[in-house]
Amino acid sequence: MVKTERMQAEEVESAPGSAWLTGAAAWFIPGLGHLLLKRWYRAILMGGAVWLCFVIGLQMGGHLFDLNAAEGSSQLLQVPPMIANLGTGLLYIVSWLLGSGFADDPQQAARATYEYGNTFLLIAGLLNYLNMLDAFDIAAGRKP
Amino acid sequence: MMLFATLASIVFGAMAKDTPHERLLYGAKVFAEFMVIGLVLSWILYFIP
Repeated sequence: MVKTERMQAEEVESAPGSAWLTGAAAWFIPGLGHLLLKRWYRAILMGGAVWLCFVIGLQMGGHLFDLNAAEGSSQLLQVPPMIANLGTGLLYIVSWLLGSGFADDPQQAARATYEYGNTFLLIAGLLNYLNMLDAFDIAAGRKP
Repeated sequence: MMLFATLASIVFGAMAKDTPHERLLYGAKVFAEFMVIGLVLSWILYFIP
């Protein structure tokens, strides 16, 4: 690799500390990363979509995953959906502290909207991971 | 399904492309794809016992 190419590659690879902080903020509170970058529309649209998805999921009676496996289920199977749920950052943590959405009783599972709620909660977390990466890229100067 | 498609396509649309016009088009395209694929899959699964 010639010197200029190497220099260009290094330029692209290195991200400032503020970009990492912005990414962390975007994960912790959906929309905050773009707000810090003064990308108001993105913050409202992208952050708002995650908040809405999460609230709708909870209202539908969806289940948030943690490491406590239900009877007859493996703890390992709880990890992938828990990672998806964790993407909502503070929303997951507050729900966990309040014990809201973690109930796994048959009455809740019998609700017609239970599976829809689960999907909304999972997707809220995954969309927020995308938001986080977008905020990080903007802060690092990799995206206009 | 429409609600889900709307929220997901908002995020995808806002993230992708460069100009607002391109983003709007891409978001609409993703929304349409979600809806069409969802409906097609629903009908396929309807006939499978």
